[in-house]
Amino acid sequence: MITMMAPLIMALAPGMEPTRDPVARAIDKAISGANPAFAREASGPCDDLAFLRRVSLDLIGRTPTVAEARAFASAGGAKRADAVERLLSHPDFNWYWAQVLDTWWMERRPSKNVETSLWMAYLRESLEASKPVDILISEIVSADGVDPAQRGRARFLLDREMEPVLVTRDISRLFLGANLQCAQCHDHPRIEGYKQEHFHGLMAYLNRAYLFDDPKLKKKVIGEKADGDVTFQSVFDPKKVTKKRAPGLPGASERADPMVSKEQLYVSAPSKEVRGVPKYSRRLLLGEDLKGAGREALARNMANRLWAQLTGKGLIHPLDQIHPHNPASCETLMESLTSSVISAKFDLKAMLRGIALSEAYQRSSVGKPGIKGAEERFLAARLRPLSPEQMGYSMLVATGFDDAEAGAAPKALQAKREGAGKMFISALAPPAGNPDMFEPRLEQSLLMSNHPQVQSLLASRKGNLAFRLAAAKDAEAVAEELYLAMFCRLPDADEKADVAKALQGADKPTAIADLIWALISSAEFRFIS
Amino acid sequence: MGVVRLCGSPEHAMSRRAVLGALGAGAFTGGALANPLAMQNKRVLMIFLAGGVSQLETWDPKPGAPTGGPFRAIPTSVPGTHVCELLPCTAGQIHRLALVRGINTAEDDHGKGSYIMHTGRRQEPSVNYPHLGSLVAKMVAAPENPLPGYLHVEPGGSGGSSSADAAFLGPKFGSVSISDGKPPANIDLPGTLTSGRDDMRHAMRRKADSRFLASRNTAETEAYTQTHEQARQMIAKKKLFDTANEPGKLGDSYGRHDFGRHCLLARRLLEGGAPFVKVTHTNYDTHHENFDFHIERMGEFDRTFATLIEDLHQRGMLSSTLVLVVSEFGRTPNINRNYGRDHWSKAWSIALGGQGVVGGAVVGKTNATGTAVVDRQVNAGHLFATYFRALGLDPAKKHYIDQRPIPMTDPAGSAIGEILA
Repeated sequence: MITMMAPLIMALAPGMEPTRDPVARAIDKAISGANPAFAREASGPCDDLAFLRRVSLDLIGRTPTVAEARAFASAGGAKRADAVERLLSHPDFNWYWAQVLDTWWMERRPSKNVETSLWMAYLRESLEASKPVDILISEIVSADGVDPAQRGRARFLLDREMEPVLVTRDISRLFLGANLQCAQCHDHPRIEGYKQEHFHGLMAYLNRAYLFDDPKLKKKVIGEKADGDVTFQSVFDPKKVTKKRAPGLPGASERADPMVSKEQLYVSAPSKEVRGVPKYSRRLLLGEDLKGAGREALARNMANRLWAQLTGKGLIHPLDQIHPHNPASCETLMESLTSSVISAKFDLKAMLRGIALSEAYQRSSVGKPGIKGAEERFLAARLRPLSPEQMGYSMLVATGFDDAEAGAAPKALQAKREGAGKMFISALAPPAGNPDMFEPRLEQSLLMSNHPQVQSLLASRKGNLAFRLAAAKDAEAVAEELYLAMFCRLPDADEKADVAKALQGADKPTAIADLIWALISSAEFRFIS
Repeated sequence: MGVVRLCGSPEHAMSRRAVLGALGAGAFTGGALANPLAMQNKRVLMIFLAGGVSQLETWDPKPGAPTGGPFRAIPTSVPGTHVCELLPCTAGQIHRLALVRGINTAEDDHGKGSYIMHTGRRQEPSVNYPHLGSLVAKMVAAPENPLPGYLHVEPGGSGGSSSADAAFLGPKFGSVSISDGKPPANIDLPGTLTSGRDDMRHAMRRKADSRFLASRNTAETEAYTQTHEQARQMIAKKKLFDTANEPGKLGDSYGRHDFGRHCLLARRLLEGGAPFVKVTHTNYDTHHENFDFHIERMGEFDRTFATLIEDLHQRGMLSSTLVLVVSEFGRTPNINRNYGRDHWSKAWSIALGGQGVVGGAVVGKTNATGTAVVDRQVNAGHLFATYFRALGLDPAKKHYIDQRPIPMTDPAGSAIGEILA
């Protein structure tokens, strides 16, 4: 322990590493370029261990273990860049980011027609294969659920029952960043950019598709008819003119159906027994058009969501209100990130790496005195709450859940963590079908205070935190191990004195349980600083 | 002897004095009376009749009119004031209530109407306004208040608390849901944990928080630390949920149904120091069979509400508790072909009483068929200014969001002086 101390303290001296990552450099150029007083107003970098906590939560969904913190503290060289690379290739990266994409796109809906495990496996395998996100989205909107090997990817549509209005709304919100729902019955009353024809042009890709209960497969799958047009009237139009709309993305031209003779319409004509498969599928066209005409919108939405995920707020806020009258908080940054997504060919890791290596991401969350709106202008990092997943898994990892499972294979450990974290995550999650939003509730604090599963995290189990603290040689060692585990930092003199005092008061296991509880319930644990 | 009838209604051939006597001797003496010192604080009880209660079947009956429906009007404890015969018990409490019969909120949508009646404002794209409960939580509740500032007792289990109700006041003034009148889950400290130890671990948590937040306090961190304090308040006050501790007769009078239990709980919560309690009674959205539904719903509401008012009075709490009976709107005078009444916001009524309100007052008037306000028309802005005045607060007091001043109530609406004590 004593031999560990020297390098740890030395490592706490903060320092930003210069980076050559093009995405990171473009981010910082956009931010400093937008503010003439940037050099004077921007906070310095956060210290190394704070960076490790931040980036571990963002890339692998949990706080670092004490061993990881100590290794990072004593590492030399370009340690921040090395840490980012290590985390991007960590076995937990794909495991965690599959959950992030799931919460983005399924918004915690319960499984209906497709088992969640198949969908999660699909997302994880896609991440393992570094599948570009535009292709991932294209596959999702093109899936039909027939091939058992590709069943998982059909969950987006099948668990929304292939209901055209709902699917249209969610594709527009979640993939294009534009909530067109209020433009269903009329042009959006307040948003000039959201036209009724946009909603119906998007729905025209989808309205021929339907949920088909396949009697042979004994499963719900997606069929499609070869006819059926989207028509609409505006409820504001006194003349009630009926308009027709062929498929087309917002702002792009319509895609006319090819002329086909009646006999040539179907590969298999729809009936009670048979799933309809047209020769010309409007729905399959959507997957192509999103990658084509929709590329820019897809990229902007991905850039905005990733920025929100890693910094706490979208450049365009709310995330599904991208339109000309809702400018980004920094337009040049929004443009730069969007073109980075396109030049990175929708590679998720390239974008995450770029953001994590930027100075903006690495800044301290303490603003300089007298600087107003520092977070809004990216002059200081935003203090942001852990997501339900980050909180659930961090509670486990910080209290030594992983340590107590030493030797378990990554997949087995992930499964155990998921099982143990489930209750915490659902207690923190918003209602199904809603985007994540931090809304602390009394009920959550009662759970934290009194639930037996929280109590069990505080009790000693071979290798876990309580176990190690009980074995620590003195109060100072307890304080160090405790603060590294909980907050990924070393305690200061006052904090050490408080720990020593607490240990004198009660019997040791009780004092240790109460200390762990006090820190895990504190704001420093609940937020990313 | 059967259940003590708490109705003061003339329909029950019992004078108000006799009723009070009966109450004094019976139902209300069983429980320990609350500490009178604790009663000096002002508080608010809001009863929300969700779905839109019919003003014609409650506070503004029009018997004999083509729009009047089948029910009679009955006299009340205030000579000359009549209410619908579905309120025989409440009729005996009218001298403690003021009726506002000239409300025009001009909004027939459930969500928007509810927003208006909870915030006193129409929805605006640029700013979200806080609920009355959140305003009270912030402006009336003492910082050391023993319970969360805005409690909502509601039927069903899915409601959940909502910090969004507090809008710009900050999430810590949001509503805390008491679903189905039950204490929240996990209210009991683990068996091994003494309350002294719990105090100690919270003291350590607070110390950690004050260190961390010294340089980084935000609305979100404040809301988070506040939920721990609220949880502790609930744990300390969990006995309030034992409505079974109330005398059996009083429990009978409140009614052995959800609304009865919820109102009894509301009184206990107010007595236990809650500054604002909302109780929701559903569902009044009677597009079909309006009259049958109101017989059934008012059958629950009437006796429970009259008991509640009497109980508050007996405990000396009524004069310091502003009681509101509101809805998102009223119902159409026109009776549709399904014997229903539809949404109607042009001419409807509410009742209020207690803290700062003149009992027995009636203000505002609708025409003979109830289709329009003919005298003293008011909207939710006036109502909110009235609530504020009744509580001794300045309706024009401003809250600042980014230096932009926002008056606490809509400046276009002045208080209804006629009903203010």
